[in-house]
Order: sequence, then C-alpha cells, then structure tokens
Amino acid sequence: MIAASIARFRGPGFYRAALGFVLGIAFAAAITWVIRAATGHHTFPHYLKGEAILVVSLIASPLFFLVGLGGFDYWFAWAAGKPTQPEDHSSHGAHGWKDYFRINTDHKVIGIQYTVTSFFFLLVGGLLAMLMRIELAQPGAQFVDANTYNGLFSVHASLLIFLFIIPVFAGLANYVLPLMIGAPDMAFPRLNALSYWLLPIAGVMMLSSFLAPGGAFADGWTAYTPLSVDAPVGQDFFTLGVQFAGASSIMTALNFLVTIITMRAPGMSFFRMPLLVWANFATSLLVVIATPFVAASQFFILLDRALGFNFFNSGNGGDVLMYQHVFWFYSHPAVYIMMLPGFGIVSEVIAVKSRKPIFGYRMMAFSLLAIVMLGFTVWAHHMFTSGMAMWIRIPMAVTTAIIAIPTGIKIFSWLATLWRGVLHLDTPMLFALGFLTTFTLGGISGVMLAMVPFDIHVSATYFIVAHIHYVLFGGSLMTIFAGVYYWFPKMTGRMYDERLGKWHFWTTFVFFNLTFGPMHILGLQGMPRRVATYADQFATLNLIISIFSFALGLSTLIFIYNMVTSWRGGPRASANPWRAMTLEWQVSSPPPIFNFDRVPTVVGGPYEYGVPGAVHGMFAPPPLPATVGAGSGSGGGSSGGSGGSGTVGGGANPFGNE
Amino acid sequence: MEAASVTHAAGRAAHEGAPSGAQAGEHGEHHGPPPANRSSRVEPQLLGMLLFIISEVMVFGAFFTAYFFIRVAQGDPWPAVGTTLPVEVAGVNTLILVSSSFTLHWAEAAIKRGNHFGLKAGMVVTFLLGATFLFIQINEYANIGFAPQDTAQATIFYGLTGLHGAHVTIGLILLLIVCIRAFRGHYSPEEHKGVEIPGIYWHFVDIMWIVVYLTVYVI
Repeated sequence: MIAASIARFRGPGFYRAALGFVLGIAFAAAITWVIRAATGHHTFPHYLKGEAILVVSLIASPLFFLVGLGGFDYWFAWAAGKPTQPEDHSSHGAHGWKDYFRINTDHKVIGIQYTVTSFFFLLVGGLLAMLMRIELAQPGAQFVDANTYNGLFSVHASLLIFLFIIPVFAGLANYVLPLMIGAPDMAFPRLNALSYWLLPIAGVMMLSSFLAPGGAFADGWTAYTPLSVDAPVGQDFFTLGVQFAGASSIMTALNFLVTIITMRAPGMSFFRMPLLVWANFATSLLVVIATPFVAASQFFILLDRALGFNFFNSGNGGDVLMYQHVFWFYSHPAVYIMMLPGFGIVSEVIAVKSRKPIFGYRMMAFSLLAIVMLGFTVWAHHMFTSGMAMWIRIPMAVTTAIIAIPTGIKIFSWLATLWRGVLHLDTPMLFALGFLTTFTLGGISGVMLAMVPFDIHVSATYFIVAHIHYVLFGGSLMTIFAGVYYWFPKMTGRMYDERLGKWHFWTTFVFFNLTFGPMHILGLQGMPRRVATYADQFATLNLIISIFSFALGLSTLIFIYNMVTSWRGGPRASANPWRAMTLEWQVSSPPPIFNFDRVPTVVGGPYEYGVPGAVHGMFAPPPLPATVGAGSGSGGGSSGGSGGSGTVGGGANPFGNE
Repeated sequence: MEAASVTHAAGRAAHEGAPSGAQAGEHGEHHGPPPANRSSRVEPQLLGMLLFIISEVMVFGAFFTAYFFIRVAQGDPWPAVGTTLPVEVAGVNTLILVSSSFTLHWAEAAIKRGNHFGLKAGMVVTFLLGATFLFIQINEYANIGFAPQDTAQATIFYGLTGLHGAHVTIGLILLLIVCIRAFRGHYSPEEHKGVEIPGIYWHFVDIMWIVVYLTVYVI
C-alpha cells in the first residue's frame, strides 16, 4: 500500500508533477532567503520578500512541475550517461482519454492537446471580452472598476494572442504537417511534447494573475514601460508567462523547420509541398528569429522590476522607448506568425473546395517568404505617436504599404483559384470565403493606418480595436475555424454536423461584422480604447456593439456543441471525405499510430484538382513502369508543374481526384 | 506490413465505412514507424542546433539593441562617468575562452581518430577553461566597483556580460554531459554527433564573447 503510493510519486505523472510544483515553491523560498541573507537585506529596498519568492516560484515551480511530469526524463538519463533508446516509442499514441493528459510523443496526440487547450483559452478569453462589453454597454462605471477593466482587456489580449492564435496554429500544423510531408512524426518528438506542456503553464500563469494582490496585469498585452515596471505583482505573471509561451513556440518552430527540411517524402521537393507546409515553414522562420526579442523585452522588465536594473529607468539614464522598439520588433512579425499559417489553411481549403489547382502556386510560396522578410522592416509603424525620431516614420510608412503587396498577391491568387471553380460551399469553404472578405477589410484598414497623418488621428482609438479584430478574428480565427472543420474528420474519424456548421458560420460572420464594424466609426469619432468608460455621445453604438457581441459569444456555443457531439457520436468519416490530394487524406481517419506503413513517394504537385490523371503521391513504389511515366515517377524533377502527366490509369491511381 | 500497405494503396474506397479504430489496432504498440525519408544531407540534430543558435543570436541582438539605444542613440558616455572597465583582465579572460575552442576541436579530432584518451583529456581541459572564464567573470563583478542598479550603462554592462555568462553556464552543463558520456565510453569514430553538436554551441558561446568583449570593453 505504502510502496504503491511511493511508486506513484516516483514515476512520471501528475502525482510527481504536483510534488514537483510544491518542491519548486520550497526551492524558490529557500534560494531567495539564502541570496537575500547573503546580500544583506537592504540592497533592494523597494522589494518585499514575498514578492521575491513569488517571482522565483513562477520560474522554478513550472520547471519542477515539468520534471515531475516526466518532460525531461529522457534527457536526464542521457545527461547522466545512462543507456538511452532514441527510438523509444513507449510514450507514443493514445489509447484512451488519459493518454492525452501525459507526456506523449505522438504528433497527432500533441496536435489535439494543443488544439483543445487553445480552444479552452479561446473560451476564457472570449468570456473576458463579454465582461468588458457588459461594462461598456453604458457610459460610466457600472460593473467593474477601472483597474479590473484594464486587467480584463490585458488578460483577454494576452490569452488570445499567446495561448490561442499562435498555439492553435501550431496544434493544427502539428497534426497535419508531418502527414502532409509523408513523415512518421516530427523530427524531435520529445521536444514536441515538452513544448506543448509549457503552454498550459503559461495560460494558467496569466489567468491566475487575477488572484494576485493589486489585480491582474493591467497595461495591455504590450506591457509598455515604465507602466509595467511600476505595476503591482500581477505584472510578473505576464512577464514570466510570456517566457513560457515564447519558449514553447520557439521549440515548436524549430521542430517544424527541421521536420520540413529533413523529413519530406521522396520526391517532395520544396515546390511540391502543400502551401500549409510552406506557410508553417515561413511562420517558423519568423518565430525562430523574432520571438527571442519578446523574451528579451520581458527579461528587461523582469530585471528592472525584480533587481532594480535601469533598462527603462530614465532617472538613471535608461531609455523607455527602447522597450517599444524591442517589443514591436517581435510583435509586428508576430502578427504574421498569427496569420501566415491561416493563409496556408485557406489555400488548402480553397483549392480542394473549388476543385481547381491553386492559382500561382509559386507566387503563393514566394509571397510568404516576402512577408517574412518585409515583416522585419515595419515594426515602428506601431510607434508613430510614441515620440521617436520623426524621420523613422517615413520609411516605416513606405515598407508598411509595400507589405500589403505580397498579401494582395495571395488574396488575388485565392480569388483566381475560385474563378470558374466547382465551388463546394460547405462549412470549411464558407469560413475560408468569410476570411477572404473580413481579412481584406482588415488589411485595407491596415494600409490606412500606414498613412502617418491618419494613424496619428486614430491612434489609441477604437479604430485600432476594429482593425486588430478584423485581422485576428475576421482573419486568423476564421481560418482556424475553417481548418478545424476541414481536418475534423481526419483528426477524430467522425464527420461534424454540416447544418450546425453552417449555422455557426453565418452567426459568426454576421455578428462579427455587427460587433466590430461599428468600432471603425467609434474610432473615427475619437472614442479612446482601453478606457472603462466613455462620453455619452458614443452610448448608442456601444450598446449595439455590446448586444451583438453577446450574440457573437453565443454563436461559439453552436461550435462547441457541434464539436463535442460529433466527436462523441458523429457518423464515421471515410479516409478522404473531401477527395483531397494531399497526403494526410490518403491514410485512414484517424491515421494509424505511425502515420504510414510505408513512406509515400511524391510524383506531382499537391493541387492538381481537375487535371486528368494527376497524382500527388503514391504508397507503393511506382508500379508497372509500362503505365506510369518513368520521368514523373522518379521524383527527381523539381519542377512544380503538373506531375503524372496523365499517364496513370484510374485503377492504379490511389488518390481519387476529379 | 505488406497487407497494410495494400490497404493504403486501395485508398479511399477501401476505407469507406471501415471502423477507424481497426486501422490503429492492427499496429501493435511495439511496432515502430517506417524509417523516415531523409530529404536533406544535414543531420536533424545539427540543423536544430543551428536554428537554436539563430534564436540565441537574436536574444543577444535584443540586448545589443538596448546597448545601442543607451550608448549610440542617447549618446551617453561609455562606461558611465567615474567607472572603468578592466579591459586587460577581460582580455586575458577572452584568451582563456578562445583557447577552450581549440581544445574542444582537439577533443573532436581525437574521437574521430578513435583516440578516447584524447577525447577525455580535451573535454576536461575545455570544461576547466570554461569554468575558469566564468570564475574570473564573477570575480570581475565582485571587484568592478559598480552595481547594475547604479546607471543604465552599468545595467547594460551587467546585462550583456551576464547574458553571456548564462550562456557559458549552459555551455558548461553541455560540456559536463559530454564529459560524463565520454568517460562512460559512449562515443566512437562512427558516432560522435554527441560531441560535435554541443561543441557547436560552445563555439557559438566563444564567438559571441568576442563580439561582447569588442563592443563592451574595447570600443
């Protein structure tokens, strides 16, 4: 009995993780006490002892928790020089719901872990928005005080950016990307597992800031200095939560890049990769290069707050504005991190649902890379009113206008793909088309904001709120819904309810526009954002917005209901319900535990819908040389043109395309 | 294996209506995946390390941005008025760290020839040189005469050298692991990735120090 309970705490799992969490706090208390005793208590007089322990605990206890959960077991054994088995698959795959609550190295399990966790935080973040809209329904303070309101919008933004949009894309890609390129798993499965488990830690940390004395962090997801340096302890939950979320996304990005570069199926040249793979390749480059900057910006704040450094203390020569430069050098690329994977999803959906080859495949790929590069040249357009040197505005306005070009190439390519296609207007396609509409509106207001005089006029007004929600809700979230519906049969082996899906789309689309559309007008009229109350002249529109925002919130319930009931009892999905050509649809739904029994061979482009006899990939080595063109079967050709060239007979063609 | 691939080749028609669990059930838990196709000549681990180093360079880039804003954009005196930086001591320390890159290279060359003693000796010397660097750096902090709380320049000085010191610490942990595994006889002329890839990180730490030394101490 006792031995059994000791064994529980010795093996990896939640018992040992809980023990680790407690030990982490104890460790933090001990090390803080030792260091403070050694340095003579008076060194940092503005700091309370409890706060120091809290900050160290926020770093140590998550790490100890992960050690307990077993995230580092393999590496510890490796570091100690014990024999290790690199191809150990004991923690691979899920046989029951419990397998989703442990360290799991299967990219498909991790993909679902990521996606479900992110949607949990979408709901939480959405509820916070509802609370804000209650307060904003009428002018004056009724529901929450100003500081709580500031906490609400700060946590809302932080959760939805760091815990929903960025990781949900990583989750969907985690599931489908290795399948799409014909790989049995990601390049580093254990790193993949660890990067997932950092995510709930970051989310719980940010949420629990509401319990901190002085309230949640209340200076927005941007945490501008000097406000964030002087803020109450709730700020530390953001500062450190971002570190965990950022580390998670760097690890995943690194994993994606290595997987894409080294594990593609034979014959899958870069220009035969599906655009979702291209999109995640581009996004991962952005993450690896840009995310360290947000980590550093929060290190600066942490050092200023915890140890009294002078990065932002202008009294001792620090530079407050430097924070904004470092922060936006990450956070502008971050808006592309939050959008490019969505471009990939939409490319998949639109090509499949229009039954046509994607228009301008190579330009679609190149425009992604152009966005990656240009994304690093526009950061200061967030700072036109910050007081930085005036001349920087001009080049930043120009580059901001230029970056609309590759995005425009993509929009027009999608439209050209739709042109004269056989459109299948089911739920994923509706969301993709909804995305095209709302994202274009958001993109246009983005180009408006590139114009310096206009930006100065609407800076810090609801116009900005409208713009950000048109690109992140109308843009990213629409693509996320499209992707979730599109791959739902593959991920769960069940079909979702099409009727409810369509209801979900139309309610979302209509109420989204009714909620965020009027905010443009409020912004132009000068209603400031991030303020709990407002002048009486804005009352009517705000009441309308609040009502529609609740309707928008309710529309999500349709989605949740559809997902839950379909997952439990929907009709079984076939392997390839959409008649798609990409490789993930060529295995069963859900795929076998190691994806492929034999690595497929890729012989053509991924989007040759409606091209007679076109083949993307095949499982057997090219059969019957007499019927298959040897040139296209060798996989050596790097041309992205139509592979297969119409030589494969229908019976030998494993992929049912038109 | 054969039967399963036939199932796949049959494509969507064969899976129509098939219970989805059955597919997974056929594959026992201990049945491994097919070996992934290697679509690049670069080792995955090597590529992973290089990408990690790119993101590390960007962390340093952010700290150098802070340096740039204080020293160049604001034009503050460097170092702060009334303080001096021990350029000579740090220069000697630089030589110590740079020499550790050469001993590391020696260790790598040794194991490629199958010389296990050379590997062990090289790794231990590299580790000790790195530890010496860190010790001198900490000693420098103790005697430098200013604290990061004093001025922005001091903050940047401690920030950049401290960030680098943290990387030396990570590098030393990696070197220690390599040492342990070397003494346990894990490496061979055929299998020495485990020396090379942590080694690349250590070379990165060295090169980054030269940049830090030149910008913080020399110019």
